[in-house]
Amino acid sequence: MVVDSQLMSFFTAGSLIVIGIFAALFLDNLIKKIIGLAFLGDGVNLFIITMGYKPGGIVYIFLPDMTISNFAQTSAYPLPFALVLTNIVIGASTLAVILGLVLILNKRHGSLSASKILRDKGE
Amino acid sequence: MDLNALIAVMIILPIASALFLNLLHKKDRTIKIIAIITAVVLPIIPLLTPYGSHFFGGYLPLAQNSTLAQGLPAIITGTQLSQFHLGIMYVFSSAQQLMIFILGIITFFAIFTFINETKKPSGVYAFLLFMGTASLSAILLSDDIFNLFVFFEIAALAQVGIVVASGIKDNYETALKYILIGNIAGPLLLLGIVMLLGVTGNVNVTDMIFSIKNGFVDPQSPVLLMALSLITFGWLYASGLPPFHTIKSEVYSKALPHGAALIQAFSVFTLVAIGIIIIRLFSYNPFTHIAIIGISVIAMILGITMALMQTDYKRILGYLAVGELGYIGIGLGLGTALGITAGLFQAINESVITSFLFIGFGTVLYKTRTSDTKKLGGMMYVNPKVALLVLLAGLAMAGVPPLNAFQSKLMLIQASIQSGLPEIGIIMILLSIVTFMTFMKAFYTVYMRPKPKELEVLDNKIPKSTIISLVAFLIICITLGLFPQIATSSLQTLAAGLV
Amino acid sequence: MIEYVLMIITVLGAIIALMQRDLLKAAILTGIPGVSIAFLFQYLLAPDVALTQAIVGSAIVPVFIAITVLKTRKTEEEIK
Repeated sequence: MVVDSQLMSFFTAGSLIVIGIFAALFLDNLIKKIIGLAFLGDGVNLFIITMGYKPGGIVYIFLPDMTISNFAQTSAYPLPFALVLTNIVIGASTLAVILGLVLILNKRHGSLSASKILRDKGE
Repeated sequence: MDLNALIAVMIILPIASALFLNLLHKKDRTIKIIAIITAVVLPIIPLLTPYGSHFFGGYLPLAQNSTLAQGLPAIITGTQLSQFHLGIMYVFSSAQQLMIFILGIITFFAIFTFINETKKPSGVYAFLLFMGTASLSAILLSDDIFNLFVFFEIAALAQVGIVVASGIKDNYETALKYILIGNIAGPLLLLGIVMLLGVTGNVNVTDMIFSIKNGFVDPQSPVLLMALSLITFGWLYASGLPPFHTIKSEVYSKALPHGAALIQAFSVFTLVAIGIIIIRLFSYNPFTHIAIIGISVIAMILGITMALMQTDYKRILGYLAVGELGYIGIGLGLGTALGITAGLFQAINESVITSFLFIGFGTVLYKTRTSDTKKLGGMMYVNPKVALLVLLAGLAMAGVPPLNAFQSKLMLIQASIQSGLPEIGIIMILLSIVTFMTFMKAFYTVYMRPKPKELEVLDNKIPKSTIISLVAFLIICITLGLFPQIATSSLQTLAAGLV
Repeated sequence: MIEYVLMIITVLGAIIALMQRDLLKAAILTGIPGVSIAFLFQYLLAPDVALTQAIVGSAIVPVFIAITVLKTRKTEEEIK
């Protein structure tokens, strides 16, 4: 079976994004929604990393015994990787904020059900 | 293209001040002094800064940077790679100067009223206000679309924080809703950005345009279309255009008046900044302009008609603010130089007028602790001066001469007729009338009708600082209304560059 | 071949985590896709990102969620 692993990785990222959006929109439990959002972020990160990947390439670390032109032609593209590092941190910190809000709301309503907590009171 | 360190100070100063204020807890006097000093300096920096660009790390593109290009192989220096910018670039021109100046003024008055209306000003709240301002300045300045995304997330978190800190009933629910939606919209915006990165190999907007214009990238590529739609989705979320108008107006109504004034300025300037980037990148695609105009017309109609049905004056203002965003979007969507100038001018006017209204109506909340129009009335006799100021603000929003929104709305109508879309001009005039009606209805019930018996008016005096802020906003409105060329002359250069 | 296995584990792990009825189990299982994505990053030539993701995805995120579940569980049981 010969399937391009980069393409497969894109599909994995896509399915994680779809699973995440589905969970965030259609599951009622707030914790499940948050887990879905974490998967959405993971999916996007995987998508970006896969974009920078070069089949048969080398890690983007310039070692003394390499020539510049050889390095430029074979190394993976490091810019997306730098973006992912930032995004992982952003994702973790927003997650912490959401969980804090959930804790407070749970104390007030005694429930984790989104439809109970976020019910619109007289739009 | 010289390096210009003051540009970076515009972002570093509010962030540094915010982080410092966060550390101070219960030291009321120090917090007051530092917050006021920072807020005074904020609008002054853009006036002093000369136009130019700032490269973080200090590296010019390889084509202009012979020392760095030395010894690099021809596959880097001989191709378009040598034109690309290394590192994050901030661009500062006359339009950015005006917008950051106005943002600084609004921040100043928000901080000013916050410090004088609150007995024990909390450093954390000032931290949130300054972080929001810093991220919005960065969004306006940044030419690097990923840097813009990072500050977009910080601005969203700051807005959630402002809502959480307000202490109004049900504010936590609104904050949770806003951040949950934001956590879907944020990654999708990032996905759009990285699709652009994947196609052009870059995150710098100038370089992406260079790649698209010079044929290194196929402009008809479906990935670019996908990126356009995903970035537009993030844009809609950040600026509160439909389908996010309900949640955005709810956010406005759950924040304290000064917070709401600042949050709406954030939405206006995010709309302008990301809208400009969308137009710069995708203007070759006629669908972009149609989509922006369509969304804006829907925003106008939905926002203003939904404002008619509300009973909470903060919700009314929130929906009116969303409706006014539609005017800006139409200006950007028309795509002509006059249209874009008018749209940007409207953005500046709207951010000032809506802050004016939020802080003006905030005095009612301060005196009565309620925002339900059914329970209110007779506030005119309690404080006639503020009532007059609020009335003038409402007239300005509806576009009555000689106040500022009249000039920008006139320009928008001229622009729509010039581009062969007089229907949009007619819709704008009709909706201006409806805006006026909605505002007068709210004004009548809150201020003019006889006071209901159950209504208790607290005995606290409205601080002088609030009245000073309102008068200052009025002065800005009248100045821009009488001399619109002050603003339009700064905005024209940017608009001409976008066509 | 290992990368295909990791991809399948990622997707299946995500689905299984969301299908759990017990929220604590769901929170802990969130770590499985997190770790396998970290290994995938290593395979995709991004070792530094893999290190960060291994810590954040396998420890911080599941632990944060698990703490929230534990803290909210009490009130949940009272209602039942």
